[in-house]
Amino acid sequence: MSDQFGSGNPLTTTGEHNMSNTAERKAVVQEPGATPDKSWVIVTRGLKREYDMGGEIVRALRGVDLAIRRNEYVAIMGPSGSGKSTLMNLVGCLDTPTAGEYWLNGMLVSTMTDDQLARVRNKEIGFVFQTFNLLPRATALHNVELPLVYAGIGSDERKRKAKQALEKVQLEHRMTHKPNELSGGQRQRVAIARALVNDPSILLADEPTGNLDSQTSTEIMKVFEDLATSGQTVIMVTHEADIAAHARRVVVLRDGIIASDDRRSAFKEQMGLV
Amino acid sequence: MSLADVIFTALGQIRSNKLRSFFTLLGIIVSVTFLVAVLAIIQGLNAYVKENIADAMIGANSFQVRRTPLNVARFVDEEVERMGRRPLISRGDAEAVRQAFPDAEAVSLQSGWPTPSADVTWRNRTVGDVLLFGVTAPHQIVQDYRLEQGRALSDVDITQRRPVAVLGPDLAEKLFETVDPIGQEVRIRGDLFEVIGVNATKGRVLGQSFDGYVLMPLTRFEMMFGRRATTTVSIKMRTAEEVATAIARAEEAMRMARGLRPGEPNNFALETSDALVDFWKTLTQLLFAIVPAIVSIGIVVGGIVIMNIMLMSVSERTHEIGIRKALGARAKDIENQFLAEAIALAFMGGFLGVAVGWLMAAAVAAASPLPTRVTWWSVAIALSLGAGVGIIFGVYPARRAARLDPIAAMRAE
Repeated sequence: MSDQFGSGNPLTTTGEHNMSNTAERKAVVQEPGATPDKSWVIVTRGLKREYDMGGEIVRALRGVDLAIRRNEYVAIMGPSGSGKSTLMNLVGCLDTPTAGEYWLNGMLVSTMTDDQLARVRNKEIGFVFQTFNLLPRATALHNVELPLVYAGIGSDERKRKAKQALEKVQLEHRMTHKPNELSGGQRQRVAIARALVNDPSILLADEPTGNLDSQTSTEIMKVFEDLATSGQTVIMVTHEADIAAHARRVVVLRDGIIASDDRRSAFKEQMGLV
Repeated sequence: MSLADVIFTALGQIRSNKLRSFFTLLGIIVSVTFLVAVLAIIQGLNAYVKENIADAMIGANSFQVRRTPLNVARFVDEEVERMGRRPLISRGDAEAVRQAFPDAEAVSLQSGWPTPSADVTWRNRTVGDVLLFGVTAPHQIVQDYRLEQGRALSDVDITQRRPVAVLGPDLAEKLFETVDPIGQEVRIRGDLFEVIGVNATKGRVLGQSFDGYVLMPLTRFEMMFGRRATTTVSIKMRTAEEVATAIARAEEAMRMARGLRPGEPNNFALETSDALVDFWKTLTQLLFAIVPAIVSIGIVVGGIVIMNIMLMSVSERTHEIGIRKALGARAKDIENQFLAEAIALAFMGGFLGVAVGWLMAAAVAAASPLPTRVTWWSVAIALSLGAGVGIIFGVYPARRAARLDPIAAMRAE
């Protein structure tokens, strides 16, 4: 597996570049209320999420400051209970924080209403889930069309775009098949096509290989690698170190706060992957 | 999400659950079928009463001058009492009307309805409770009777009070079977009558034969029963269009004959077959009110079934709702989707009900003499009831679906 990491992205291989990145990140998360400039696709400031579990307050996130630039490929790691699912739900606009700011693509998402969030999910976020989450009775093409349906795009345009997206993941020949007629890897590629069809600002993957065998996982990780190389911002939530190691940057959560935020090389050293 | 997409998604969902959708709709289908079919049958009965019974009793293109109206149910007791003091319809009245109508096809005077009945005996054979009518010769024309055998009553029979009779075909059949009835003598209330003719059958109306009767000269009839309060003048015009203006002329002639001053009310009544139809309609009005009420109960029950199935569908499809919400469906999109499904279901139920009701009405029309008529307004009521039920009973499940939290919904399996 290690030779896959041999050729790195120029953005992250030089230490200097990363040093300046880190400094800028620190600067941008410490300006409450300020609209981050356009190069930041995600900025969270003191993000907190608390749940009331029958009178007991559970602090899932206790103040997360996270800044991600456009075109970054970031893995969010952490053991179960670390708050990574909560963070992924917040970043994915499926949930709203108890406190703190969340800026997505220059928009203050943390104060939006449910309908506004739905619109943001539709336009800005492409989800890829561990369990694929395809509509079982719909064809691959219709599944990919779905975000465009909610974007209010007409049928012809929708079909054209959905076909393009399926071509990108080499599934144009399986367009009319339903999910139960597709292999796990094919299903996940349909899900990726669906996530990409609206040209989202971020591709948000939650354990995308969790239900796949290692061979298929490698294929799917290759798809993410190619997307990241072509300039797609990718955020991947995982608890597997070797999957996280594909990313150029690894954010590790522990007990609801960021425990470490490193370049891949540093992470790999830490995990003993080199 | 566009309306077309909403409808398309709803129909797709219904199609993928065909059997369940059908059973869901059964209540509405049955209710609407009942509504459409029963109203069609009532309409058919009305038409039938108009075409067969009313015209059979009064005569086609005909109207009557009577002492009292046919449908006294429309009047208060006082008026009915006052009508009771009116003079009987006399031969003089009939003659006055006849002279006013040289253009009529026929003007007759007859004993009217209700009429006495009696046993009719030939040799040792007796037929009980036969209707007896005293008529003048033109009655045969007014009633469109055709002769099967012998001759009709003549003016001479009337003026000479001859003891002769024309029989209805059923009666002739029962009494004489294979014997030729013409020239035979039958006994009615002790008097002997010579059978001079037998009319052709008019068939049955609602299974009731109108063919068992005895027609005798009115003069002879009055020797037995006296002048009856039901005595009626019938005027038959050549076409239905002439009837309306003829009624006014008959009124004038009667007022002159009776010597009524201007402003004095008529002491007689004028009736067309419409009066009988009106009478019948006052009976069926009640049905028109009751049937939709019964059907509404059925449809409400059908609506509750739809609501239950939709709630079941929402909980079954929680995961799907979660996915759709994650992909950008707003609460309204989800609500519309489920609402559209409920409305489409209920509307389909209404539509299928109309179709089945229509078929049933057509089957009744084919198998019976009732000319059943599906009216456009019963179809309109059926379809709007269907859609209305879909909206009313679809809102709650749709709201529930729309309010689901996307994260929790996606976790559901």
